[in-house]
Amino acid sequence: MNHLSKRIVRLPALAAAALLLALAGCAGLGREAGFDAMASAAAQRVGATPAWPRDDAGRQRVDDEVAQLLAQTLTADDAVQVAVLQNPALQAVYGQLGVAEAELLQAGRLPNPRFRTTRTASEESFKYETALTLPLGALLTLPAVLGMEQRRFEAVRLQVTDRVLAVAADTREAWVAAVAAQQELHYLEQVREAAEASAVLAQRMARVGHFSQLDQLREQAYLADARVQLGRARGAALAAHERLMRLLGVDNPVRVRLPERLPELPPQPGEDGELERFALGQRLDVQAAKADAAATARALGLSRAIGMVNTLELGPARLAEQGEPLKRGYEVSVEIPIFDWGGARVARAQAVYLQAAARVGETAVNARSEVRESAAAWREAWALARQYRDEIVPLRRRISEQNWLRYNGMLISVFELLADAREQVNAAQGSIGALRDYWLAEARLRRALGGRLPAGAVAEAVPAAAAASTGRLVRRED
Amino acid sequence: MDRRIFMGAAAALGAATVSRAALAGLPEAVQQRSAATQPPLAPTGGVPYNPVVTLNGWTLPWRMNDGWKEFHLVAEPVEREIAPGMVARLWGYNGQSPGPTIECVEGDRVRIFVTNRLPEHTTIHWHGLLLPNGMDGVGGLTQPQIQPGKTFVYEFVMRKSGTFMYHPHADEMVQMAMGMMGAIVVHPKDPSLHRADRDYVFLLAAYDIDPGSFVPRVNTMLEFNLWTWNSRAFPGIDPLVCAVGETLRVRVGNLTMTNHPMHLHGCEMFVTGTDGGWVPPAVRWPEVSVDMPVGAMRAIDVRFDDPGDWAFHCHKSHHTMGPMGHRVPAMMGVDQSDLVERIRRLVPGYMAMGEAGMAEMGEMQMPLPENTLPMMTGEGPFGPLEMGGMFTVVKVRDGLARGDYRDPGWYQHPAGTVAYEWTGPVAEPQRPPGAPPDAGAAHVQVRKPGGHGSHH
Ligand SMILES: [Cu+2]
Repeated sequence: MNHLSKRIVRLPALAAAALLLALAGCAGLGREAGFDAMASAAAQRVGATPAWPRDDAGRQRVDDEVAQLLAQTLTADDAVQVAVLQNPALQAVYGQLGVAEAELLQAGRLPNPRFRTTRTASEESFKYETALTLPLGALLTLPAVLGMEQRRFEAVRLQVTDRVLAVAADTREAWVAAVAAQQELHYLEQVREAAEASAVLAQRMARVGHFSQLDQLREQAYLADARVQLGRARGAALAAHERLMRLLGVDNPVRVRLPERLPELPPQPGEDGELERFALGQRLDVQAAKADAAATARALGLSRAIGMVNTLELGPARLAEQGEPLKRGYEVSVEIPIFDWGGARVARAQAVYLQAAARVGETAVNARSEVRESAAAWREAWALARQYRDEIVPLRRRISEQNWLRYNGMLISVFELLADAREQVNAAQGSIGALRDYWLAEARLRRALGGRLPAGAVAEAVPAAAAASTGRLVRRED
Repeated sequence: MDRRIFMGAAAALGAATVSRAALAGLPEAVQQRSAATQPPLAPTGGVPYNPVVTLNGWTLPWRMNDGWKEFHLVAEPVEREIAPGMVARLWGYNGQSPGPTIECVEGDRVRIFVTNRLPEHTTIHWHGLLLPNGMDGVGGLTQPQIQPGKTFVYEFVMRKSGTFMYHPHADEMVQMAMGMMGAIVVHPKDPSLHRADRDYVFLLAAYDIDPGSFVPRVNTMLEFNLWTWNSRAFPGIDPLVCAVGETLRVRVGNLTMTNHPMHLHGCEMFVTGTDGGWVPPAVRWPEVSVDMPVGAMRAIDVRFDDPGDWAFHCHKSHHTMGPMGHRVPAMMGVDQSDLVERIRRLVPGYMAMGEAGMAEMGEMQMPLPENTLPMMTGEGPFGPLEMGGMFTVVKVRDGLARGDYRDPGWYQHPAGTVAYEWTGPVAEPQRPPGAPPDAGAAHVQVRKPGGHGSHH
């Protein structure tokens, strides 16, 4: 979101006025063509196609599709699909796109001086209209207004796409949080169960005379504590579930059936260099910056391209980026054309164009940094979740097995056994937390990459149905 | 201290530093691999005597060299089977803990070579023997310690007959907690004195080996979990065998840190000797439990009139138990029937135990931690023995051949000589006149068999 508005505000005001020729084709846009283009760009990035029903039949189609998705256990991908279909905020944003498109069409047919004023009220970040107030006749201003509208429409289209991406990412995160909270609740119920068994036993021990009041009160206190924890977790699970409901635009939470478990941890993540290259091709802010540079060139009348330059190698950015991706064997570049600058008259044009080029570089450098940051977090979360799954949980299970053997030999009592069960449940709970953090990090990485993971970045997520790694407690053959 | 590292170092150092060549010319350091009771070593010349039987142990062979009886002890790490299913990594002598019994005759000139294959220095103190001060084996006080890889020689005359011990007097706490000890039996020069038909010897030792581990925790002072005779615990202790009418001598030494009332069923016991010497017959008194003080030896003579399988054990009942959790609360009278299912959801396979008492522990054989003996175990001809630790049986039979130490099996009781269940009518008890009907049962809550109503 932020990248886009910033980028558009920075557009050189003059450039808009010089777009006349380039705008000729835009008059061919039909109603909803803009939405469809946005929808396909979004679908390509989040794997879910937005819908913007404007009549009863369309609404019915969306409702049917949502009903179908909600009829089964809701996966993360399905949740994203439901959100882009009926998230209320997105529906409003789609409307915004419709307005911009209608205005663009309007500008192409009837130059209307009033229309500039209304737009200013609705889009405070677009300041160039005032700068471009042209005290000329309608015919004279038509091409300029049309150009502005076209660029504004493009900006809104990118903004809306970006909103879809954001809602998709939020939904994915909310889905992970809701499933994890529910799963955690299940474990806390087991802790409560263990504490309850301990407390009841302690009470009976005291009644018969084996336990002092002190021993009994300790168990009682533990139970009270376990109940409080469980209550807190219930609240947290409810909040997580409701947040997901809001994003899904579902008014009746009973309609949504979440899986009992998070998907299993996928195999080892891939290399960072791949991800950065992928992000530069997919991210909307990079694309917007490049489009700006191209528009700037057109506005300046620059036409004789003499080659391409990698914006990542411009100025200080080059120092910051030097070597690393190359060392890994990946060619990462964001290229734009450079031109034959000719005489002194174009010295200013050169400076303006290089300014735009530098912004492309800035956007790309930031994008890469964001990818590296979220990829590192993702990798870290993966390692931690794996440590829980492959080391901590099995260790706890083995400890429990040993304790069970000790119980058999009357070396420890049932109270130690139950205390150990609580420890084991804590480890399982920790494992769920780590797995949740992994999927959250994965969702954030998707966002940094511009919507989705490149094919092959990780293997497909394995549903947790058959997974035994965190679900069960001690297993043994009697 | 990391026990495994400790032991690993022991094995490596011990094996490496004593070369075969260095020991050439010394009497062979005979090794023993078995924990079973070995046949006694009958004298092949000199003064005749009835050789001692070392319970779950053996007697060290010797050689005569120019009028000296020469023995060779090797102090080294050993593996000792405490009972079937459990092996302890100890320190001992010549392959076992305890070390072999040194057996000789009053007046013998003995030369004992001691080779150290331990990772640290050691000495041997000859507990109870009268000898020159420089032969007393107290590290730092009467001799320099024997460094790893070195061999020392002790030479002295066995001045008196009796029952004695040997053990280290260098890093003594650790080395004794690790199982370094052995018995010394000196027979009287006059074979007619202090005769016994069967003569057994063993030492009491306590270990603290955490369930699932192998090496004793040497710093434990009181809370031991393995109470052993010659580093064996029930059911690993062999039976003592003797014939009706024979004089059975049991020589016991105590190297634990507490006393043990040795209780032998079916006979009267007389202490005939201490590590100070023979007890004059006039001052011996009959007992059924002979208390074993710490650091002392007793020779106990008994004679059985009745054949049978007679229990022989320490009378501290916790010493006839295997490893157990001393902090585990009793569960008698605590109904768990409605909780078992709930607990199983958290601890699959959970079984409620101890509701009636702990006898079920002796009956069930549940999987235990590795290398761990059950708290109580054993199966007798009439049911579970529910024992552990310092418990065995003296098997007394009619007409056993002299020198036959083989286990005769369970005693076959003549008909009508075994306690039996009363199946006749139960009459009203006879009460003193005027006593209230339920006097005595007033405020003791008794959990009656089969009842589930003790809590309310
Ligand atoms: Cu005892």
